[in-house]
Amino acid sequence: MAFDQSLIGKEFEATEPVTVSAEVIGEFCRALGEDSGRYGRPGPDGAVVAPPSFAVTFRNTDAFFQYTPRFGRGFDAGKEVEFIAPIRAGDRITLTSTVREMYEKTGRSGTMTFVILRSTLCNQRGETVAHVDHRFVHRNPGPGE
Amino acid sequence: MSAADGRHFATIEIGEALGPHEIVIGKARARAYAAVCGMGSGRFHDDEAARAEGLPGIIIPGNFSLGLLSKLVTDWLGAGPGRLKRIGTTYRAMVFPERRLLLQGFVTHLEPESRAVEIDVWIENEDNERLVIGTATAEFPPGD
Repeated sequence: MAFDQSLIGKEFEATEPVTVSAEVIGEFCRALGEDSGRYGRPGPDGAVVAPPSFAVTFRNTDAFFQYTPRFGRGFDAGKEVEFIAPIRAGDRITLTSTVREMYEKTGRSGTMTFVILRSTLCNQRGETVAHVDHRFVHRNPGPGE
Repeated sequence: MSAADGRHFATIEIGEALGPHEIVIGKARARAYAAVCGMGSGRFHDDEAARAEGLPGIIIPGNFSLGLLSKLVTDWLGAGPGRLKRIGTTYRAMVFPERRLLLQGFVTHLEPESRAVEIDVWIENEDNERLVIGTATAEFPPGD
């Protein structure tokens, strides 16, 4: 899959806000095995706080997935997440994503294109709560493929 | 130190270990994680669908691995003043349910000025293969 370098910096349409419920945070905690007592239940201030990794659960718009590899042609190589502020029940989270970086590497298995997409999560007060960098690898077709 | 006390920056030493914590993620739990995250792909839910993609069965989402390593760090921090500031993960191999996994890490660097602690973290399987590797940064407030 060849990429147009001019797409670096491209901003995708922001997602519709997603309201975070205490129930969803609770389900997430149960699946994760989060049992420390610090997340998923009301704290001293009454707020239900999500575990930090809840930040990676928000879904991008369909346009974003044009830049993610199809299975067998590439893979999700990893993520980098910066946690800026806790996500709490009642928050309304919006994602804005951009194409942050693209580069190629050639190894024994051929040429791979790396695409890094950054999603910024903001709450209903306009505060940034997290940055999530998604790192995808696309395997470029070899001769005759 | 108990989790109730929590870690404090002054008591942390380079080389300090996180874990190892042994876990086995069942298929039901892997499906539950994918479901709550809205990850509808068959490879996370259905063995037949996963096999149709050339996999031996359902796989654990990469986000779940990131979550488990984040939890390794937040459990280690406990209820003290430190917080998980960032984590970066690299998915080196697929992680399958119903296999014994070890979550581990150790402190690699202390930054007194910013009161930051750098940590290497990873998930390995019973053959000692590191399936997911990563680094994390924990941050402590001034005066801690």
